[in-house]
Amino acid sequence: MTLKIEHLTGGYTGIPVIKDINLEIKPGQALGLIGLNGAGKSTTIKHILGLLRPQKGSISLNGVSLSTQARKFKKQVAYIPETPVLYPELSLKEHIDMTILSYELDADQAWKRAHELLKLFRLDDKLDWLPIHFSKGMKQKVMIVTAFLADTQLLVIDEPFTGLDPLAVANLIDLIKQVIAQDKMVLMTTHVLADAQQAISTYAVLNNGTIEIVGSLAEIRDFYGLKADDPFDKLYLTLNKVTGHE
Amino acid sequence: MNKLAKQRLSQNFKRSLKYLTLVFNDFFILALIFLFGALMFWYAKTLKTMPNNLWFYKPLTAFVLWLPFLAGRLVTLFKAADLQFLFSQDGEAIEQYLKPMISYSMILPTILIVLMGGILYPFAILKADLSLWQYLAMPVSLILYKYAQLLHEKVGLNFEKTYSSSIFNAIILALMLLEVYFMPSALVAVGLIALGASKKITTFDWNLAIENERVRKDRIYSLFSMFTDVEEKQVVIKRRKYLDFLLPKTFARDTPNSFIYRRSLLRNPEYLNLLVRMTIFAVLVSWLTANWRWACGLSCLIVFLTAYQLLPLAKEFDNNIMYRIAPIDYSTKGNDLVKVLDSVLLLQWLCISISWLLILPINFDLLIASSTLLVMCFLLGHFYLPNKIKG
Repeated sequence: MTLKIEHLTGGYTGIPVIKDINLEIKPGQALGLIGLNGAGKSTTIKHILGLLRPQKGSISLNGVSLSTQARKFKKQVAYIPETPVLYPELSLKEHIDMTILSYELDADQAWKRAHELLKLFRLDDKLDWLPIHFSKGMKQKVMIVTAFLADTQLLVIDEPFTGLDPLAVANLIDLIKQVIAQDKMVLMTTHVLADAQQAISTYAVLNNGTIEIVGSLAEIRDFYGLKADDPFDKLYLTLNKVTGHE
Repeated sequence: MNKLAKQRLSQNFKRSLKYLTLVFNDFFILALIFLFGALMFWYAKTLKTMPNNLWFYKPLTAFVLWLPFLAGRLVTLFKAADLQFLFSQDGEAIEQYLKPMISYSMILPTILIVLMGGILYPFAILKADLSLWQYLAMPVSLILYKYAQLLHEKVGLNFEKTYSSSIFNAIILALMLLEVYFMPSALVAVGLIALGASKKITTFDWNLAIENERVRKDRIYSLFSMFTDVEEKQVVIKRRKYLDFLLPKTFARDTPNSFIYRRSLLRNPEYLNLLVRMTIFAVLVSWLTANWRWACGLSCLIVFLTAYQLLPLAKEFDNNIMYRIAPIDYSTKGNDLVKVLDSVLLLQWLCISISWLLILPINFDLLIASSTLLVMCFLLGHFYLPNKIKG
């Protein structure tokens, strides 16, 4: 039960963004992917989700290859994007139904879980609403509810704290902790390390499309020569110097 | 600013031309020829049997001629970003920008007024008893009024200036009604133009101008989107709960593809309006021709056009990330859509057949027409659509 990314090189046609990425996430592990804008975080995620085709390398989950068994692979992956993407034609209730249909979940059990999640994020009285009536934060909550409902082995979360109220952030962190406790895997990109630290202990620093270090925050501080009492945001200044923008 | 206006007009013209080419495709031209032909046939026939010089002919002439006057607002092509980048431009610069815009805005209403003037000419001269010069003065006055209206609309973009197109339109209707009895009102039009031209842009209301343009563009794109895909059009999805009875009672029998396609058809105005419009079109053509053979043939064509125009639904969700990352069986996507479209065509057949019961004589011929239309739906659903929608 492992997500394996081996020698992944990819990006857009003619523009390689990530180069020779090697990552492994084990059951019960949450990995934070950090780096400056344009470092390749979103591109890495797009490859893991099958939205981009690798130029080199492979991605597999529990031995299931994304390139050869895409549907089986996708069944094990749920995603919370940075910008919520909903079906404008579907009500909140129908988004739950669509998740049940897509992931082939048991409808009764899934709806029981959905009601818990909807109540947690204060959406339980908005089942009939269309996305057009939701605020950005509410849309993000719908994405979170459907992703956790899918009950997959791997949860990919892209900048999850943007636009969420503090209560929702706390609830999301609790849910991530629960998922980790169930021996599932989480891959998260974020700039908000203060929140991420509550659920994530291992980080990979992505710089200029390559992984520079994978380790705990203490190990990353050591690697970049930061003092123990330096604010962690100083890491970004160091990365900026390394990339030659200063 | 004048250069910017011309640049934007040229881009807008190219974009409009692209959509006009798509709208007036072979199928649509064919349908239009049939409809226009049927309408003109009916007009010529009615004109022969109409009594002469009834009291309401003159006001009717003025009213019908006034209708194309309603088309065409001031095209400004302002964009939301102008609030940031052109905010510092003074009134004179805006005047320079709007000058070519006003000329451009005159094109469509002028064409429509002249066209309506031509169509109405036999009725106005032969039946309404208007003199040639009196009648010719009417479209000319209307074109001048339109120019005056655009000038006033421009002035209305100043802060604290109120301009109401409804009031202006109502005044013009009143003037046109007077014109058929008393005198050509071209002088009044010239006066209105002089009044509009004497007022300048001083304190420009950017928010109002941008919003007006957004609404205008949305209206134009809505018109284009009735016939073709318009990427600039922002579709507003509506819940339409009253149509939920057309959905299966339980979603368990659905696939993710048919689940989403069904709802898209019922809630996306692009598709639902198309379906309603084409069905009404079939009923209208059947009523105008009043002949079972013509009604059947033209309705078959319209059902085909409906299916043809619903084909873009196949690619509706291809760019939706959540659709692409979900473990959905894409190999059945085509079949799922064909099944959904099958039921849509059947529904259309049912609506048209019911309307025939009301507008055509009920006899064996009607049964033949209805059966032929059903066979057409079957052929589309089993041969045409599966061939067009693959995978």
